[in-house]
Amino acid sequence: MKRIVCLMGWSMLLLLACEEVVIIDIEELDERVIIEGLITDQRQQAFVKLTRSRDFYAEGPADRITNALVEVTINDGEVVQFVHNPDRFPALEGYYFPFGGLEGVVGSEYRLSVRIGEELYEAREAMPPVTTIDSLTTRFDQSEFDDPQVSGRYYQVLLNAQEPQDRDDQYLFKFYRNDTLIRDFPTDIYVAEDELLGGNIAELEIAGYYALDDVARVEMYSLTREAFIYYSDLSNLLNGDGGLFSPPPANPRNNISNSALGYFQVSALALDQVVVYDPR
Amino acid sequence: MLRSGIALLFMLFSLQLTAQNRVTLSGYVRDGATGEELLGATVFVKEKQNGVVTNGYGFYSLTLEPGKYTFLFSFIGYETVERKLVLNESLSLNIDLIESSQTLEEVVVVSEREDENVTDIQMSRNDISIAQVKKLPSLFGEPDIIKSIQLLPGVISAGEGTSSFFVRGGSADQNLILIDEAPVYDPSHLFGLFSVFNADVIKSSELYKGGIPARYGGRLSSVLDVRTKDGNNQRFGGEAGIGLLASSLMLEGPIKQNESSFIISARRSYVDAFLRAADQDNLVFFYDVNAKINWRASNKDRFFLALYAGRDDFDFGDTFGFDWGNRTATFRWNHLFNDKLFSNTTLIANSFDYGLGSTSATNAFNWDSNLSEFSFKEDINFYISPSLTLDFGYHLTYRKFAPGKIVPGATSILGATELQNEQALDHAIYLSVKHKISDKLTLDYGGRLSYFQNVGDYTLYLYDDVRDNINPTRIDSIQYGGFETIVDYLNFEPRFGARYLLNKSTSLKLSYQRMVQNTHLISSGTVPVPFNTWAPSSTYLKPQVADQFALGYFRNFKGNSYELSVEAYYKDIQNVTDFADNASIFFNQDLPTEFRQGTSTAYGTEFMLQKKKGLFTGFVSYTWSLAERTVEGVNQGRVFFANYDRRNTLNIVGTYEHSPKWTFGGNFTYGTGRPITLTSGTYEFGESYLPDIITERNGYRLPAFHRIDLSATLTPQKARKNKNIETSWVFGLYNVYSRKNPFTLFTSIPLDDDGQVEGDGTLREARMIYLFPILPSFTYNIKF
Repeated sequence: MKRIVCLMGWSMLLLLACEEVVIIDIEELDERVIIEGLITDQRQQAFVKLTRSRDFYAEGPADRITNALVEVTINDGEVVQFVHNPDRFPALEGYYFPFGGLEGVVGSEYRLSVRIGEELYEAREAMPPVTTIDSLTTRFDQSEFDDPQVSGRYYQVLLNAQEPQDRDDQYLFKFYRNDTLIRDFPTDIYVAEDELLGGNIAELEIAGYYALDDVARVEMYSLTREAFIYYSDLSNLLNGDGGLFSPPPANPRNNISNSALGYFQVSALALDQVVVYDPR
Repeated sequence: MLRSGIALLFMLFSLQLTAQNRVTLSGYVRDGATGEELLGATVFVKEKQNGVVTNGYGFYSLTLEPGKYTFLFSFIGYETVERKLVLNESLSLNIDLIESSQTLEEVVVVSEREDENVTDIQMSRNDISIAQVKKLPSLFGEPDIIKSIQLLPGVISAGEGTSSFFVRGGSADQNLILIDEAPVYDPSHLFGLFSVFNADVIKSSELYKGGIPARYGGRLSSVLDVRTKDGNNQRFGGEAGIGLLASSLMLEGPIKQNESSFIISARRSYVDAFLRAADQDNLVFFYDVNAKINWRASNKDRFFLALYAGRDDFDFGDTFGFDWGNRTATFRWNHLFNDKLFSNTTLIANSFDYGLGSTSATNAFNWDSNLSEFSFKEDINFYISPSLTLDFGYHLTYRKFAPGKIVPGATSILGATELQNEQALDHAIYLSVKHKISDKLTLDYGGRLSYFQNVGDYTLYLYDDVRDNINPTRIDSIQYGGFETIVDYLNFEPRFGARYLLNKSTSLKLSYQRMVQNTHLISSGTVPVPFNTWAPSSTYLKPQVADQFALGYFRNFKGNSYELSVEAYYKDIQNVTDFADNASIFFNQDLPTEFRQGTSTAYGTEFMLQKKKGLFTGFVSYTWSLAERTVEGVNQGRVFFANYDRRNTLNIVGTYEHSPKWTFGGNFTYGTGRPITLTSGTYEFGESYLPDIITERNGYRLPAFHRIDLSATLTPQKARKNKNIETSWVFGLYNVYSRKNPFTLFTSIPLDDDGQVEGDGTLREARMIYLFPILPSFTYNIKF
């Protein structure tokens, strides 16, 4: 809905405008710390990723922080230490994993504490409940069949789930085709809040088109209100027009102290997958 | 204030009665060819070296001792009429002025009253001549007074192709735009490419940037008072214009000659016809209709009925569409109680609405929103003597704000939601005195008392913390019944102006005004879009209050051929309405949690040199200005540049009457770039997102823009007066050297030609949007 409103602002420009790449002259940035944390009710998923901010025109990945002290306290009791990249995988530099694993529980509160040098960063989040996914079905898309972007991919996958009306829920969706994360546009973020939803999520199209026998997987993460706000703000920042017709860009509101960017997300997860078939 | 105002009135009345036997000359000044009243025409008494100006309906009144006088009636563009009269008793005299013909010789008659720039007490006001607007180059060949306003000193535009304007450090919603006394909430068509003002029907348009008279209120920064023609009551005629993007037709004529007349005009764009022909799914069109009837029942009573309706409609394929429009209806009654007391009673009904709809299977919805208002106004001009005029009156407006309801489609996953309506009653009573103290000094003082009530039917929610916009928590609700006052605000707005004549062609002027705004635009972008809603002052939104001082130096040269004005202003706004960082302003049930009101400071200097006579006319305007805001909750409470802050603006505008057939026009415009909130770095988040880091609101500045536009008008028929049909062609060239003027800047991920992400996905780039390269246009006009 918000995307549509943003698009309105662009619509006049779509009719007439020309675009050109320009080089902008930006001042030196004060370095910021970015903390990305995730705890779910699935044992394998918990991690904390620490990186530094980068220059606008920098190439390559951001600098990783590999010597921080990271721990999570559960319900102000048990403390779980996180260890940096225990298996020494090059791709996992900057990632910290719970020693002995961490399987979250709906309703528990988790407090993250990250110490980098002299600075301390903290965040607190509780795990909200998640609904279940009833089913994933498929639909044949005639217009995509007539002119497919990728040969063979002309099926859509539809999500069906119940949406409990007696509580406030927010969700983040991730869609995978054969284990690869897919989005319709690189800057899409798929979040929903139930304030605008009706009773059911019925036949909601997920991102992407699929070929027969592709494995489509949907991950549905429950979000706290704060996490939903973070992802909405992030989506506005990634998709905005710079403040001409839409609100001016701003950093997303997050739950981490001491001016760190990023978010400490604690979610319950609902999963489902389907092998794409022809529904006709 | 009220009591002393009434006391003053009584005192002046009794002064009247006990004074010597004075006589009054009064009447209307009109265009001899069409019967249209001329507002702002000067009636000057030579022997008294004093005079008055006709009011908004062309009425004047001069009360003098009996005697022999020479009266000069003049108005720019018309031949001055001189009448020598012996006044022994009061006399009603209507004067018809004839348009001065433009000849190849220098215009010989120089009226003393064309020094209005110097002698009139009004400062910070610009009259926009429609005749002049039509001779100048315009975007797509559509003459537009708002684009012309953007060339005046002290007025800034957000960028090309927009119809919003920013006056002396005020945002776009701080301008009171009136068409025949009815407010217009969105003056734009096609997102600002055109404005709702059809140049064919405009009689006069005045922009007040400061020294705003007490009869105006409701917005902080400016008043654009546009009046449409009443309709030629002598003969039937019309005009048609065919342009590249839109065409218009106007018909006017007498219903009963010299007594009543009508004017009707319609304008429609046909961009949709082109798009349909090109097999495009996207359609866009707009239309305007203006209609007016007026009836001069007697010399004492006149009635006017004016209607306006306009609409824009966009459709994007089958997926979604939106439309918006204004509708106004005004009924006015001019009544002369006696030859000194002129009354205007107005009834206005006004509505602005928009709708948004999407027909996609899962996201289908319809959103409709509407603002309607009804007003009653009583305005009186009391011409006590040539040195003393009183204006006073009472205005009452009822407004209903319906921000919207979402109705989902049958298969939509969205639920139905509705935002509450709000209602407000806006009362104002004003008095202003224009007082010539001596030959050199004239004062204009007075004030406006505004009383604003936010009333029910309404449920007011109380919040645990009204600034918590992450988890807004309502703790209580209070139910208000119909027209029950929820909160009220009383404000006094003093208005003061002074003009001191240094000599016959030089003056100094000073003004102070306080303006109060109780209708707030809910928009946090720089350029308002039609679906920004308006909201009344309420429990959570305090009235915005602006204080402005202005000082000016005015000088005329070479017998009033050149007018120089230099003005400096300082404006301070309390409770300027702004929104928290990351505010969600569309369809937010807890919108009060996003309001952040702060202060705004703006100051600047404006310089304008105009050449008003001769074959070559035009002006140079230069403005240096600065506008900044401090709002808690925005930019961490630190001061930041306002969205419309432009340091330097230079406009050079000229028209050259080469011959009766050919007129050339041109303008050069230059402006410092506006500020924009831009990245200062990026970071990694999620599987591949690269968000920008924002450290400073409006910390970056777009490059400057400048361009030259040219136009040529060809009028083939040599004699313009006595032929029945006059045709003309206007050829235009917009952005002659095709400069890529930056419209806005945004960051994105570089994509290659196939639309795939370039490189390893860690790259970012900045893209600039620019709108119009060199654009030729032509318009064909017929006048009959």
